[in-house]
Amino acid sequence: MSHLSHSSTSVADGTVSSISNIETTSDTAQLLSNEEASTSNYTQLNKSVNFEDSDDDEFHGSHGIRRRQPQQKIEPGSMNVLSAKYESLDYDTCENHLLLDEERKRGYAYIVWKDMARWFIILLIGIITALIAFIIDICIEEFSNIKYRELKKSVDKYVVQDKLYIPYLLWVLSNICIVFIGSMLVAYVEPVAAGSGIPQVKCYLNGVKVPRVVRIKTLIVKAIGVITAVVGGLAGGKEGPMIHSGAVVAAGISQGKSTTFNNDFKIFQYFREDHEKRDFVSAGAAAGVSAAFGAPIGGVLFSLEEGTSFWNQALTWRTFFGTVVSTFTLNCALSAYHGRAGELSFPGLLNLGKMEPFPFQFYELPVFMFFGVVGGLLGALWNYINYRLAVFRIRYIGTPWLRVVEACLVAAASATCGFLMMFLLNDCRPLGEDPTKVPLQLFCADGEYNALAAIWFQTPEASVRSFLHDPIGSYKPWSILTFVVCYFLLSAWTFGLAVSSGLFIPNLLTGAAWGRLLAIVIQAMLPSNTINPAKYALIGAAAQLGGVVRMTISLTVIIIETTGQISNALPIIITLVVAKWTGDFFNEGIYDIHIQLAGVPLLPWEPPPLAHNIYASEVMSHPVFTLRTVENVGHVVELLKLVSYNGFPVVDPPLADDVEVTTYKRLRGMILRSQLIVLIQNKIYNENANTTWSNFNVDMNMFRKEYPRYPSIDKLDVAEWEKTCTIDLRPFMNPSPYTLPHRASLPRLFRLFRALGLRHLPIVNDVNEVVGMVTRKDIARYRVWRHRGHMGMEELILSSEI
Amino acid sequence: MNSYYHVFLLLFFHSNLMKADTLNYVQKHVEVLLSKTGSCYMTPLPQECSSVLNDFADYASNFTKCSILNARPIRICENCIDHYLSFRNKYQELLSTVVNGTSCKSIFMSCDRLDAILEYHDNILSIWDKGHCDACYNWSTDVPKLSNETIHFIELFNGTMACINNTHIDPSLNDTQVICDNCMKSYLKLDNYYKTLSADAIGVDSICMDIVDSMNATRSIWSKTLNCCRIRKTPEVIFLVCTGVISLLPIFYYLVLRYFSPIRDLPNVLKQSRFKQTILRSLGRSN
Repeated sequence: MSHLSHSSTSVADGTVSSISNIETTSDTAQLLSNEEASTSNYTQLNKSVNFEDSDDDEFHGSHGIRRRQPQQKIEPGSMNVLSAKYESLDYDTCENHLLLDEERKRGYAYIVWKDMARWFIILLIGIITALIAFIIDICIEEFSNIKYRELKKSVDKYVVQDKLYIPYLLWVLSNICIVFIGSMLVAYVEPVAAGSGIPQVKCYLNGVKVPRVVRIKTLIVKAIGVITAVVGGLAGGKEGPMIHSGAVVAAGISQGKSTTFNNDFKIFQYFREDHEKRDFVSAGAAAGVSAAFGAPIGGVLFSLEEGTSFWNQALTWRTFFGTVVSTFTLNCALSAYHGRAGELSFPGLLNLGKMEPFPFQFYELPVFMFFGVVGGLLGALWNYINYRLAVFRIRYIGTPWLRVVEACLVAAASATCGFLMMFLLNDCRPLGEDPTKVPLQLFCADGEYNALAAIWFQTPEASVRSFLHDPIGSYKPWSILTFVVCYFLLSAWTFGLAVSSGLFIPNLLTGAAWGRLLAIVIQAMLPSNTINPAKYALIGAAAQLGGVVRMTISLTVIIIETTGQISNALPIIITLVVAKWTGDFFNEGIYDIHIQLAGVPLLPWEPPPLAHNIYASEVMSHPVFTLRTVENVGHVVELLKLVSYNGFPVVDPPLADDVEVTTYKRLRGMILRSQLIVLIQNKIYNENANTTWSNFNVDMNMFRKEYPRYPSIDKLDVAEWEKTCTIDLRPFMNPSPYTLPHRASLPRLFRLFRALGLRHLPIVNDVNEVVGMVTRKDIARYRVWRHRGHMGMEELILSSEI
Repeated sequence: MNSYYHVFLLLFFHSNLMKADTLNYVQKHVEVLLSKTGSCYMTPLPQECSSVLNDFADYASNFTKCSILNARPIRICENCIDHYLSFRNKYQELLSTVVNGTSCKSIFMSCDRLDAILEYHDNILSIWDKGHCDACYNWSTDVPKLSNETIHFIELFNGTMACINNTHIDPSLNDTQVICDNCMKSYLKLDNYYKTLSADAIGVDSICMDIVDSMNATRSIWSKTLNCCRIRKTPEVIFLVCTGVISLLPIFYYLVLRYFSPIRDLPNVLKQSRFKQTILRSLGRSN
């Protein structure tokens, strides 16, 4: 026996502690290299991977890929790093014996029952998402009303005493206090609830497990956070958080249990797997859009365009049902709130107010395109500013309390900005001509109100409505220009703070403002024509938002549905497409920027072009950790502790234990870490390898019970004697995993991986022996970049510390 | 359709019985026919209906004239109430008058797509409704009277205007401060009273237009012509300093973070394990 000297050195990167082994030549990370191991004694893991090894050749780049210089450290805030922390969801169904048993026992009645349960859950998702949206809506409206009414009283009182600093400080203080609550919650209780939540939901729907993103705690923090953010006067909207809320609701209801409250309702056990959960989450996100904007079709399209990578027709139907239920519930609740219960077509329910159809001529199409270009440029600038800020935040604002302070400072600055504008720009309008909720006189004559105060003393959503619908003379051009500049910067500053607020409404507001400004300019140039400011404000709003988020179809439909006017589709779609193209020339959409900064291995829609010369043998991770069909428990435990991988190919035992020759072993199936953990936890193993296995009472529910939070291997208590037991993996493994030969090209690999939602893809040689393993990160590291008309592919580096 | 049959059967039946006064008989039955089919094309018109219509036209023109004459400054509600009432009552009469079982309404209205009478009526009334003129009056008595609120407002308004007009100023100096000082009390009383009239902040929803316009005029004279409403007296130095400090705080905060934040360990790159590496390594080793 050649017992190898084993010096377990923990490498600086932490997750994978490598056992440097100099002697071995085995390349397959074969787990045993001696005779004794096969008799299932305590086994020693020999691992040939040496992470400290540095091969200079690695970075030369063999096929025209831009590769980074070899480096050991990464500057935080880099977009070219993938985080190794993110894991994939198991979208693929594991067809093991248990599943077959279950299918045999239940029959078709079970399928029908499951289908009905699905529809019922979608119904619940729609209703509950809408109710949460309703509560958020009402809270924001009521609290804002109180806040601005009190502020107005204070301004009215102190303006005559020349003590304007009192209402100003009151405003600053109220903003800070309210934002402080939300920011504390976000920073300390649930950091994943920060921001709009759309990037996180997008990652989840793409198949990446974002930790804690669909928990009930996140939902609560998100809901309270968004109320405080908007009431606190930040330049944020409530739409993104509502979409996130819908996703959480869907993930929660469909599971029939709450791990947070340690409460299992014993229902819907059959939906406790990643596949079903993800489908429900896509429906939930759609219901969230629908509740946020009152746009059922827009919700379905949003889910399709932004989120779900794996789409099917039945899911579309269910999603649409969910969005319609959501809109219906929201409209019922809101119409009752507005005192017009039952009037579901009441125009006050339209989010951006009812828009008249605006006639447009053929020659106006270039004007819309010009708006699109402006929107694209401003959107790209917005994204750039926000990107720089995000990098700064990653690098220098790490601790939670610093983030809370930052949020409070932004809240104070927002109030300052608003008050200074009211103070300096004395834009007075006579009372009664425009609908104003809180007409603040300030320095205007009696019977007049300050137009800027009217914009600032209401929720951003109401301001969008004002800019869209007020008559052309309502605001002076200079006021609008100042407002655009201020709000543009404020909203770019606000997004990414430790508060939960979205960017839809702020960008619509900025866009509506500059759209109206351009309308005034056009009116001044063409005095003989009557220009409809609503038309250009709407086009401007669409262009600005399109330039930032780079969505086209779903955004068009959402805007159409929120303004209740389908005949405006063509101008909006032209504007949005031009805005997207213009923006894409400079940088990516804001969600993608934030996803890349977080290092999430997101798979794009299409494989990288010109990549047919990259083969699976280059893409794959090479030494594969395999398990044998009948495996030793101690070995399994050691392996699980040693590596962080989640899937292990199950292979035949090697024919000859020859340590001198590189051997690969024949693939028999795939087993997941979660399955192994459940097996060990329930002690599904035997002292004698030759016993029959039928006496175990194992079914799918054993695995579903622990879902989605399996205990870590360190938490399991495995006695020393148990380590000598053996475990038969064959009934539990997936006997027919998707595989590809090592000569498969990257695009082929990509399409299989992406279309089927795989998590692990073993690469085999000509005789079906496992030579490598492809996971999401192996593919996601090939990223296409586009910038100023050039494009290329770069290979990203990985880090486990970001 | 059924009624036609009845009528023709009736005609046929009657003609068999008596053939004497055929003309009289036919005319009578044409009326029956018209009453059954709708009376839009009845000629000649019944006397009562045409006289009501005539009066209605007169009242309409009176009311219109009155509205136009009282448009600026708006006194429509106050001055045209009589015309409004007679116009409205005549319209009711037009609707309710019935002559020989035929209502005037059925003769004049809903006969064609122009429907001029109804259209004029609605247009003329819309000005009254848009101005919320009903709100000026107390409608509980038989004859509507100006409501107490309106009377009180007019008193205050007249008082303020009298004060403004009667205070003499030196025309050469053009100093309006005297007026402001003199009339401030009555102006404020008027303004405050106006504010109590409506629940909503702007007062466009429920207050009668005469009052709104009077108030607008007073406010305009007060704060623009006389320039009595000089709120911006001092440059609000404390306020400006506060805003300055608060706007500088974030910049200061970011600068401090940028240059004084503790240097953290940079994240390490994770070495990836690839096929190529192992091949190269094994080659290197065998050499």
